[in-house]
Amino acid sequence: MKELKIPIFELSNNSFKLVVDTNIYSKEALNATCYKYTDKYFIYQKSADNPNEIDVIFETKSEVVVNEDTVKSFCNDLIDQQVRFDVNNRFGHIRDLIVEEAFKPVNK
Amino acid sequence: MKYKYTILPFRFDHFNKEEYLLTNDVGEYIFLSNKDFEKFINYELDMKSDLFYDLASKQIATSDKIEDVVAMLATKFRTKKSILRDFTSLHMVVPTLRCNSSCIYCQVKRHESSDHSADMTKKTAKNIVKCIFEGPSPYIKIEFQGGDPSTDFEMVKYIIEEAEWQNLFKKRELGFVICTNLTLLTPEMVKYLKKHKCDISTSLDGPKDLHDTNRPLQDKNLDHHEIFEKNVKMVRDIWGDDDCVSALMTTSKYSLGRYKEIIDEYIRLGFNNIFLRSLNPYGFAKEYKEKVSYPIEEFVENFKEGLDYIIEMNKKGKFFVEGFAALLLKRILTPFATGFVDLQSPAGVGIAGAIYDYDGSVYVADEGRMLARFKNYYFKLGNVNENTFQEMFNGNQLHEIIENSCNECLPGCADCVFQPYCGADPVRNYSVQGDVVGHRPTNEMCIKTKAIIHYLMEKLHEGDPETINIFWSWIK
Repeated sequence: MKELKIPIFELSNNSFKLVVDTNIYSKEALNATCYKYTDKYFIYQKSADNPNEIDVIFETKSEVVVNEDTVKSFCNDLIDQQVRFDVNNRFGHIRDLIVEEAFKPVNK
Repeated sequence: MKYKYTILPFRFDHFNKEEYLLTNDVGEYIFLSNKDFEKFINYELDMKSDLFYDLASKQIATSDKIEDVVAMLATKFRTKKSILRDFTSLHMVVPTLRCNSSCIYCQVKRHESSDHSADMTKKTAKNIVKCIFEGPSPYIKIEFQGGDPSTDFEMVKYIIEEAEWQNLFKKRELGFVICTNLTLLTPEMVKYLKKHKCDISTSLDGPKDLHDTNRPLQDKNLDHHEIFEKNVKMVRDIWGDDDCVSALMTTSKYSLGRYKEIIDEYIRLGFNNIFLRSLNPYGFAKEYKEKVSYPIEEFVENFKEGLDYIIEMNKKGKFFVEGFAALLLKRILTPFATGFVDLQSPAGVGIAGAIYDYDGSVYVADEGRMLARFKNYYFKLGNVNENTFQEMFNGNQLHEIIENSCNECLPGCADCVFQPYCGADPVRNYSVQGDVVGHRPTNEMCIKTKAIIHYLMEKLHEGDPETINIFWSWIK
């Protein structure tokens, strides 16, 4: 097993593993990110030995071969999804009030 | 520990090396030196200082009873969001896709002038008007788009008269606009439009060579710019009012470096405003990006030069407005609400404006219709021949889009210092970045809007009295 960049590991030619720290990333953000990649890759999540980590396995699905950049892009997208999740938690209630106001004229 | 004063919610960012910019939800702003900013957030400001009074007057801090200040902020916030009060009032109708132009950035798949396969039927037109009047807004503006609607002027007349008939009973404040390249308008048509109070909106991209490059006519023997100029005069003569026709410009790759000439051409042709508009990434503009598009940073630099040129011109006594700056300045300088479908929060798509295609399909925005030309129907709400108003305008699809277009709750926007002046464009996000939320660090609209607001803030901060007076003169 070749370690490329912590915590990305190349398992085989067509397979990589990413170790995600659940102290930083929520399950919701991780699932949303995994879902985004399911069109091009096989994605599998499993509990890691460390209870505060989750292993995400990437395998090549079709002609799009998984590589280190795929996993790095995943890391960036994970940040994006976590920010969306956090912003929704912090400001979602304000958004809901505004949207309710926006549709009030057609809900009368 | 009891603090001397209460800090109210605000957003902030470094404005330059020496100063921070602070804004709050209702659009109040203030510049603080780095030192004062530190003092402020550490509750060390002298409450008798002018700076504290400034902060208090903008409801960014208070030493009064907090409930009173919150009530004032709530009133201002309601005013800013009063654009939501009436629901959709702008109804864009496409009587036909026929057009006699072949613009290099055309955002719809136009049809040849002789191809009637995308003409609206009277049954569809009647159902569209019925649907429009089912909306709750006391204001109804029907805007004819295309193709070029003048290629099916009989249908335009049919819709105008059907709407006027409906309005005898519904009694709304009804208005019309026709968006046309002007080249097919005859004096009879113009007299009809004048009689029915249908304003004329057209496109002008600049001097003859540029206009004809961006917007050539399909008949290569015709001179677009020459016909345009002749017909602008004809329209104004019949109307007896130079302001009866407004123009919109689009910046193609060929327009860069030529803003002064473009502005001069607007003035030569008697217009008193311009909206320096970047290319929208739809239709041909997306398909032939390499040929017609440019990095957004280049647009921003051109915009700044154009704005400076317009300000200098105003200083010399010529009243001339840059429309995008005027919109943003109204948001920055006044407590009033400003609806602008492409840049508001929540986005105006579907709840401020909607577009009805020639076949009765209803989309949340013109750009949604353009995506549909390329077989993407995400922004289609339904069809007036099959769906009710409630199904289309109060359905899950529109709710989902709107929920994802409040910049108070979007990543990268929620804590942006310019959030109160900005908005979301879910259609553009979807078109360019694959989902309605978008990704701000790589979002061209975000890069452009932030750069332009920053530039306007620089002007305001410089405080040149002449420039400030000019800005105020632009705010209606």
